Amino acid sequence: MDDYLVGVLSNIGVVSFVALSAYLLLLTGAISFGQQAFFAIGAYAAGVATALWGWPLAAALALGAAVSAAAAAAVGLPTLRLHGLYFAVATLAFAEMVRLLFELARYQVEIDGELVGPNGADGFRGIRYIFEHDLGPLQFLALIYGLLAAVLIGFMLMERSRLGVALRMVGEDEVLASLNGIAVARLKILAAGLAGALAGLGGGLYAHLTTYVEPRMFDVMLGVHSLAYGLIGGLGTAFGPLVGVLIDIGLLESIRPLAGYRMIVFGGLVALLLIARPRGLLDEAAVHWLQRAWRPRRRP
Amino acid sequence: MIHATRELAVVAAVAALLASGEAVAQQIRAKAEVTCRPAPDVLEYDCTVTLTNARTRAPLPGVELTIGADMPSMPGAHSVAPVKTAPGAAPGTYQGRLALEMHGDWALSLNLAGPLRDRVVKVLRFEPDSVGEPAARTAPGRRPRH
Amino acid sequence: MLELRRLTKYFGGVRAVDGVDLTVAEGEILGLIGPNGSGKSTIINLICGLFPLTDGEVVFRGTDISTLPPHERVALGIARTFQNIRLFGQLTVWQNLWVAQKARGQGRGFLRGWLGGSRHDRVAIDKTLDFFDLGHKRDELAGNLAFGEQRRLEFARAFAAKPSLLLLDEPAAGMNAEEIDQLDARIRQLRREGVTIVLIEHHVELVMSVTDRIAVLNFGQKIAEGTPAEIQTNPLVREAYLGTQTAA
Repeated sequence: MDDYLVGVLSNIGVVSFVALSAYLLLLTGAISFGQQAFFAIGAYAAGVATALWGWPLAAALALGAAVSAAAAAAVGLPTLRLHGLYFAVATLAFAEMVRLLFELARYQVEIDGELVGPNGADGFRGIRYIFEHDLGPLQFLALIYGLLAAVLIGFMLMERSRLGVALRMVGEDEVLASLNGIAVARLKILAAGLAGALAGLGGGLYAHLTTYVEPRMFDVMLGVHSLAYGLIGGLGTAFGPLVGVLIDIGLLESIRPLAGYRMIVFGGLVALLLIARPRGLLDEAAVHWLQRAWRPRRRP
Repeated sequence: MIHATRELAVVAAVAALLASGEAVAQQIRAKAEVTCRPAPDVLEYDCTVTLTNARTRAPLPGVELTIGADMPSMPGAHSVAPVKTAPGAAPGTYQGRLALEMHGDWALSLNLAGPLRDRVVKVLRFEPDSVGEPAARTAPGRRPRH
Repeated sequence: MLELRRLTKYFGGVRAVDGVDLTVAEGEILGLIGPNGSGKSTIINLICGLFPLTDGEVVFRGTDISTLPPHERVALGIARTFQNIRLFGQLTVWQNLWVAQKARGQGRGFLRGWLGGSRHDRVAIDKTLDFFDLGHKRDELAGNLAFGEQRRLEFARAFAAKPSLLLLDEPAAGMNAEEIDQLDARIRQLRREGVTIVLIEHHVELVMSVTDRIAVLNFGQKIAEGTPAEIQTNPLVREAYLGTQTAA
C-alpha cells in the first residue's frame, strides 16, 4: 500500500476514537466540546510513558486511557447538573485550560544528546517507539484498526444490553430515566469516564503514529469535528460517527481540488444535515428500519 | 457467547502484534535541519534538509527521505501527500519541493527509510514570500528554550 | 402502605402543597381529585422524589423515604405514569419496558444485570405488552405509535417496574369511552393482583366507579376525604369545583 494511503487510513482510525468518545456522550444527551482534552491527555501520558520511561506500548496506551478516564470522570462530577449550552461551554473551558497547561508544561530528559519530552508550546517530539521497535506503518495501522474493532464490538454489545438502552434513556429524558430505576448521575459519570478512556486511547495511538504532538493540535477544532462526526453520521449506531469520519477525512481529503475549502464544505454539510436530519444519516429510525429489513420479524 | 469469543480473538491478535513489535532497539537517531524558501509557484516551497547522526554529528547520506506536512491545528486532516527528495550536492543533504494547501504553520514530517528508519518533525511558518519560525514560538511572553 | 405527613412544597411564594396528611392502605385504590392547580400532580411528584420537600415526610411501608432519589424509590416499588405522555420515542416499544422491568430491587447493585442481552427478559415483557394490547407493536419505535397506544405503553412501562404502589396521573385524558372502559378493567385487574393505586383523574365516572376512597384537594390542602358516595354529597367539594360567591 502507498504510504500516503496508509497515513490517511491511520488518521481515520485514530480520529474515530475521538468521534466515538463524543458519540458516547451524545447518547446520554451531553454535547461536549472538550473531548480533545482527553485525546491530549492520553497522547502526552502514553508518549511520556514510552519515550521517557521506556514502557512497552500496550502499557503506555493503557496508562493514557486510564489517566484520561480519571480526568473525564473528575470533570463529569461537577458538570453533572449542567445541560445543553452550559455543559458545552464548561467542557470547552476545561479543554482550553488543559491545552494551556500543556503549553506551559515542561518535562524533558536528555536522550542521545537530544532533549526529549513535553516542552511547552514547542511540543513533544521524539516519541520514537515505532522506530526503536521497528514497527512498520502497516503494522501500526493494523494495531489501530484492531483496537478500533475491539471498541466497536464493545459498542455493539453495549447497545444490545440494558446499559445501552439506559444510556439512550438518559439522553432522551433524564427524569423519566430515573423513574425507570436508572441511577442517572452514576450512569453519566460512567459514560464520561468511558468516553474519556476512548479519547485517551486514541490520543496514545496518535502520539505514537506521528511521533510528535503539540498543544495546538488539541484546540477546539478537533473537539468540534469529533462532535460533528456523530451528528453527521448519525446517533443510531456506533457506525454513525465512523461514517462521519469517513466523509470528512476520507472523502473530502481525497478530493484534492476541494482541499483548501474543506472546512467550508464540511461546515456547510453539518449545517445542511442538522436541518434535514437532526440526528444524522444513521439516526435511530434509519437503524431501526435497517434492522427490520435485515432480519424478518419474529412474530406475525 | 459468539461475540465474546470474537472479541477475545481480536484482543489476542492485538497482543500478538504488540509483542512482535518488541524487536531490537535501533541505535542511530537522526537529527535534521530544514530550510525552505518560496518556489516560483504560489504555495510551493523548495526545501533543503540536512540529516546528521544525533550523537556523532556525522552526515547521513543514502537515506530515502520523504517530506510530509500536517497542519497542527487540525490533526489528521489537511495532510499533504509526502514528497520524495533527491540527494543534494553536500553529503547528507536532500532537496524536495512541497506543495501546500494554504499559508500558515505546517509540521513537516521528515520520514527516513532505507538503511535508517526514523522520523523528525519540524514546525515552520510558510508565508507567501518567506518561511520562518512558527507563530507559537515567536509569541510574546514565551519562555526561553533550554 | 403509604403515609404522607404534613407534606409541604412551596415553589417560591406559591404553596403548591400545604401540610397534607394522607394515608393509603395496602391494596386500595385511592382517588385524588381537585380543581386544576390544587396540588395533585405535585403530590405525585413528591412521592416519586422528583423535587425535595419543603417540609413533612413521605413514609413508605414504615420507612421515611423523603430523601431517597427517584431511582431508589422505583426500586422499592413505587411507579408512576405522567399526565402528559412521557415515553422514549427513539426506542422500540419493548425497549421502553426493558429497563423498568428490572428496576425493582435494583437500588444499589449498579451494574449487576445491566450487561448482557434481552433473551430472558423478553418473555416477561411480552406478557406485559399483551396485557396492554401492545404485543403486535413490540418492535415499533414508541414515537411512531398512535396516541391511545402511547397512553397504554406509558401505563405498561409503569407496570413493568412491578410496582406495589402505582401512581396514575390522569390516565384517561384524551381517551374515548371505549378506551376508558378498558382502562377501568385494567385498573381493577391490577388491584386483584395486589397493586395499590393512587389515581388522579378528572373523569368523574371513572373515579367514582373504580376507587375505594377519594381525597379532595383545593389550593394545596386536603378539604375532604371519604368514600365516593360521601364525596359526591360533600358541600365543600361542590364549592371547590363549582365555586361560590364567598370563594370568589
